[in-house]
Amino acid sequence: MSSASVYVANRRPLSHTIRRSLLYFLTAILLVIVLFPVFHLVELSLKPARDAFVMPPNLIFAPVWDNYALVMTPKFLQPLGNSAVVSVATTVISLILGVPAAYALSRGHFRRDQALSLWTLSTRMAPPVAFGIPFFLIYKQLDWIDTLHGLVIVYLTFNLSLVIWMMRTFFDGIPTALEEAAYIDGASIIGTFWRVTLPLCAPGLATTAIFCFLMSWNDFFFSLILTRSEAVTGPVAIANFMNYETWEWGKISAAGTMIMLPVVLFSLAVRKYLITGLTAGAVKG
Amino acid sequence: MQPGEESVAFRLAKPRRAGASWSRARGRTFVALLAPALIVLFIVTIVPTVFLLATSVTPLNLAKLASLRFVGMENFQGLIDDGRFWNSLAVQARLSFFDVTLQLLIGLGLALLLNARLRFLDLIRSAFIIPMVLPPVVVALNWKLFFTPNVSVLNWLLGLVHLPQPVWLMDANLALWAIIISDVWEWTPFVLLMVLAALQMMPEEPLEAAKIDGASGLQVFRYITLPLLRPVLLVAGLFRFIDSVKAFPQIYIMTGGGPGNVTEATNFYAFLEGFSYSYIGYSSAIIVVMLVVTFVLSATIIRTVGQEAEVE
Repeated sequence: MSSASVYVANRRPLSHTIRRSLLYFLTAILLVIVLFPVFHLVELSLKPARDAFVMPPNLIFAPVWDNYALVMTPKFLQPLGNSAVVSVATTVISLILGVPAAYALSRGHFRRDQALSLWTLSTRMAPPVAFGIPFFLIYKQLDWIDTLHGLVIVYLTFNLSLVIWMMRTFFDGIPTALEEAAYIDGASIIGTFWRVTLPLCAPGLATTAIFCFLMSWNDFFFSLILTRSEAVTGPVAIANFMNYETWEWGKISAAGTMIMLPVVLFSLAVRKYLITGLTAGAVKG
Repeated sequence: MQPGEESVAFRLAKPRRAGASWSRARGRTFVALLAPALIVLFIVTIVPTVFLLATSVTPLNLAKLASLRFVGMENFQGLIDDGRFWNSLAVQARLSFFDVTLQLLIGLGLALLLNARLRFLDLIRSAFIIPMVLPPVVVALNWKLFFTPNVSVLNWLLGLVHLPQPVWLMDANLALWAIIISDVWEWTPFVLLMVLAALQMMPEEPLEAAKIDGASGLQVFRYITLPLLRPVLLVAGLFRFIDSVKAFPQIYIMTGGGPGNVTEATNFYAFLEGFSYSYIGYSSAIIVVMLVVTFVLSATIIRTVGQEAEVE
């Protein structure tokens, strides 16, 4: 720190310093409230059962991996694998269908633009149970209950409109002059999109992909009603720990930590666009 | 890209190939790019909606075959005499009202507080993202843990300051509040981040002018900041309202609708009727009513936002 800034800092009135400290103090409390539940779950997952609920909680302890050993059985690993397969598959399909559509909407100046925004919002308004009943009945007819492809298709109900909306916002931000230049140089419309526009949108594409992945990974309701045993996903598998094995918090916290960690890491990567994704249909980012 | 470059490229493009045929070809390509997505979107959203409307006028029951016949408004008439349905609406109204109000108030308050130039603001913002991206199941388990005596850190803290240590989820007066608290924890950051973004983009001139004219901090907030924040608060409120109607994992895991049915919100009641008791037709009718109410309320909010300002 230079001597000049020390001088300025010393000249600040006392009330300002007090206000500032108070602000930092309040912020610290807030951070504890926001982060403690997450920390607590991880902490429980690393404690032996007999120490888990000693009050006050001892925050310094030697971590043990017993709880993880207990959940690392096919009973949980298979659902975890299902979650990964279904989430990746629905993300890829949503991108393949949705990205070209978003590009067309961004460049085509269609008159029904508003209608699509309303459509996107409406699918968001419907509680999962509204889609749950028809999909359940249709899948029963098709014998698709408890299948991974059944889940992949259901997740398109929210992921496809999410991709269209988010990618459209990103495409709107790319100037068309570049595309026109490429076209003059002899590139086709599709070629221009593929070689010029899409690479420029790479960060937006990554953000959208992560969003789709999160939405499917976090789903509870559809997996609950549309799967039985083979296609069960991580969140439902954890809920099942609860019902049949009565409060094994060690196992629950270890399994919870495992499905929570990828989400936390991914979402920190997309934090800049998080609100854009969460408000798809209403707010442009 | 400089504005100049753009216009040069545009001028070059015009006389050479970007004529009427180019834009027609472009138009055709765009339709081809758009069509597959719209067709799939139609199949996965509109078709099920029509299906739902159709089942809502049948007595469809999974336990009984051949229950797929038209009964007109019978299910909807049944709803009128169904005390449990009315109870679910009342629970839903309480849940949505307190969810949205508390999240908006706390989110706004915290945003104003954090709008100061704090050194770790970016770090703090990242931390606030975590609750809302967690799998809802994990949030529900977290709070189940805090609301279960003997394992609850929360109750231990209450004991330290000699407050009663309730059995939250078994207490008819507290169970719904337990759900609301977990929702507020999960989603207040959403309001906070939206308002904070709006605050940081707010024009400085009106604020400065008001201060020069001698307005107090409270007056500046009441007459300048708050009106400028109105659109963003409405949009945040709209999304919080929509999601509060969808509250499911917390209810399923924390209370199962109980004790009695004090936490049985409408979407949970529809789930029970449809998937626990197999009355699919009746359940569809509940959902149709619920959708209509949600759409009407949301449309009201959207129209208010639309009239006031374009939210960017």
